[in-house]
Amino acid sequence: MKRRYALRFSPTLVEQPIVSKLARTYDVDINILNADVASGRGGKLIVELSGTEQNLDASVIYLSDAGVIVSEMVKELLFREEGCIHCGACTAVCSPRALRMNSEAKLVFDVSLCVVCGLCTQACPLRLFEVSHEREA
Amino acid sequence: MAKTIAQINEKIKTGKAVVVTAEVFTKMAKEKSLAELAQEVDVVTTATFGPMCSSGAIINFGHWSPGIRMEEISINGVSAYEGLAAVDTYIGATSESKFDPTYGGANVIEDLIRGKDVRLHARGKGTDCYPTKEIDTWINKETVNEFYLFNPRNAYQNYAAATNSTNRIKYTYMGSLLPRYSNVTYSTSGELSPLLNDPFLRTIGLGTRIFLGGTEGYVVWNGTQFNTRRERNEFGIPKLPGATLAVIGDAKQMSADYIRSAYYEKYGVSLFVGIGIPIPVLDERMAKHLSISNDQIETTILDYGQENHPAVGTVSYAELASGSVTLPDGKQVRTAPLSSLAKAREIAELLGRWIREKRFFLTEPVQMFPKDSFVKPLVPREGGEQ
Repeated sequence: MKRRYALRFSPTLVEQPIVSKLARTYDVDINILNADVASGRGGKLIVELSGTEQNLDASVIYLSDAGVIVSEMVKELLFREEGCIHCGACTAVCSPRALRMNSEAKLVFDVSLCVVCGLCTQACPLRLFEVSHEREA
Repeated sequence: MAKTIAQINEKIKTGKAVVVTAEVFTKMAKEKSLAELAQEVDVVTTATFGPMCSSGAIINFGHWSPGIRMEEISINGVSAYEGLAAVDTYIGATSESKFDPTYGGANVIEDLIRGKDVRLHARGKGTDCYPTKEIDTWINKETVNEFYLFNPRNAYQNYAAATNSTNRIKYTYMGSLLPRYSNVTYSTSGELSPLLNDPFLRTIGLGTRIFLGGTEGYVVWNGTQFNTRRERNEFGIPKLPGATLAVIGDAKQMSADYIRSAYYEKYGVSLFVGIGIPIPVLDERMAKHLSISNDQIETTILDYGQENHPAVGTVSYAELASGSVTLPDGKQVRTAPLSSLAKAREIAELLGRWIREKRFFLTEPVQMFPKDSFVKPLVPREGGEQ
């Protein structure tokens, strides 16, 4: 399986051969999609790891234990539900009906139906939706 | 037998008044006769919680020392009206910040209601009696003298629904309208809406005490664009926007639960306003109006894709609330509300509780609103009388 991660390095971590150790120890293929790292400054790598699920999970634990801040690159919709006034404006643009009004005129969000198109981020007059690209791993 | 408002207030005082919401009343009307209902129920509470752009607040900042005659005013970067004496202003809900188009007068009003500090910047030319030329300071609702909402046009009696015939998404005050008639938006609390329950404004007029933004407020005039000439259906409901109300209330006592700023993409800032109006069940005729249900309230769908918004068709609110409507060409289209029915229900319940707890009494209007009024367009012309 493949998963994409954002890896954030502190200035001291940049001095260690973390990525090559990861490849050798955990049998994962590493495809670096984007790199912004410099000696003495730290930085960020966007990588795609391929391997068994077990090895991917172990890789994340190894990286985290080493001090790297790891977040999985997942596109998902964040909804600050506590601010919602149930006006329903977002339901106007939600084709998969992940956002809909229930029989009590309250908004319900069914995350399993969401395709993260992002149209609701503009449709919500209270700006309660946000498309996130990373999740803490 | 007909009741008077004085008699109903007497019943409220003795704890004997029967108060129900307009939705409950409509349900009761399916089982009981209008004569029975007119006897049994004293007050019906109606409510709405929707975006109402024609809203704003009057603020008196208090005098600076030495004095300043404020001739240019901004609050958190939002420009406020400068032509009201030295330290009075009116901040309109839709006035936009110079720095952030998603922040405007509505947000300033909400921030003040929440008790937050906002930044006041003002300039004057400097006069013998007001020598200060510029100030930059912070205010909140405790530091100012008066802070009250004065909304020139709220609580529209019916509002047209919106759709979009073009090939592009349209961002409007009626929300995001998808291309090629792919959705219809509407803004109403339907059978719970104040002016749909008293369609000829028999009980609502100048001086009517109402629920406004979480506290008590008053109807102080007919709203702007007050229109009594719209075609009405057999239940007396205008099929397009009709009557409106101008309302006033002490914003210091209001709550952000019932006043909320909003930003509509590529349109601008607006203000959600919570309004509740108690309607006395004076006689059978009022009972008939109050028994109105969503299938009896119709509105027109307008095409916001075309200039002048031509009509596409007529639908009932029961159809709109069902989640989809069929357009005249046979296409089934998703519908979406823009005003919060859940909040309107909360307001109608709360107002009912205030009345039952003898904290809120009904008022006899000081004056009724015009019986014949219509809306004129702005016509281009050159020159003028010299």
